[in-house]
Amino acid sequence: MKDARPVFLDLLAIRLPLPAAVSILHRVSGVLLFLASLYLLILLASSFGNETEFDQLKWDLGSPIHSTILWATLSLLSYHFVAGVRHLLMDLHIGESLKAGRIGSVLVLIVSLVLSVLCGVWIWL
Amino acid sequence: MQVSIYRYIPGKDTEPRMQHYDYVLPDDRDLMVLEVLEDLKAKDPSIGYRRSCREGVCGSDGMSINGRNGLACKTPVSEAISRDKLMLRPLPGLPVIRDLIVDMSQFYRQYERVDPFLKNDTAKPAQERLQSQEDRKKLDGLYECILCACCTTSCPSFWWNPDKFLGPAALLQSYRFLADSRDTATEERLSKLDDPFSVFRCRGVMNCVNACPKDLNPTKAINEIRTLLVKNGT
Repeated sequence: MKDARPVFLDLLAIRLPLPAAVSILHRVSGVLLFLASLYLLILLASSFGNETEFDQLKWDLGSPIHSTILWATLSLLSYHFVAGVRHLLMDLHIGESLKAGRIGSVLVLIVSLVLSVLCGVWIWL
Repeated sequence: MQVSIYRYIPGKDTEPRMQHYDYVLPDDRDLMVLEVLEDLKAKDPSIGYRRSCREGVCGSDGMSINGRNGLACKTPVSEAISRDKLMLRPLPGLPVIRDLIVDMSQFYRQYERVDPFLKNDTAKPAQERLQSQEDRKKLDGLYECILCACCTTSCPSFWWNPDKFLGPAALLQSYRFLADSRDTATEERLSKLDDPFSVFRCRGVMNCVNACPKDLNPTKAINEIRTLLVKNGT
């Protein structure tokens, strides 16, 4: 009888406040970083073969696709790091109120966006 | 305004559905969401929801109002309405008994787990256990909880682990007794919380603080418990 009861849990019909979105993105960025690290490890492994393969990899890394993936990975890392620092600060009882939580979330987005732009500048300029 | 209500009548509906009602708001005053529900129920008595005090004390009419958990009796329509629509759904993550009425058993089980009562193993005083004004102040923001479940059912950690993670309401109550100078069972209480799920599944999402109709801060209480657990050497 109990198992037949429906449960309302439609995430599209539930309004998540900004701190929740920042926290969920922290998780998502962590999973994507894990996948990106596999990609980076494959690149690293391919550089160990011989001098020709190493030079080929250096050449490949300059391509738009590789540099875009690299930029995306660094952006994810920036976001994950900044959002993680927010969690650490909360563990130290900083930013526990709802207002501070909202301000902290906005700061996480701004700082990670700035870092992402700086990563782009570093890669492409 | 269009009011859409989550409908599920066991034995009649096989799946939940949204039923839409037209409602004309008065020009001269604001209404609480509960008043709208009362009017609609007068026209359609089959609508099911809980209510009692209608002043934010009993905690019976917690529901998802346009995607945000709150008490229908304390939420003004003017604050909740979005694009002339009011969507009323049951509290998320709990089994629906009928329409907006959910089965709170899991919520109460987690509340029970924190032993929400004073424990003191010292000799009984002649009259009452006294407390300094400073110690009493530590309970402000903790004791006011009305167990409406708005916080716990807005918490993603509770949605995914309702049997393992205690949830914000139970943890707020847990800290209410950990912080009480008259309670002597601190070690025992902390040892019961010392596992990866009960407390540490909280990720600081703060949905609980956002939802609480009494403006309490379970996230802060949970962080205080974590600090106590660390200081206790766990």
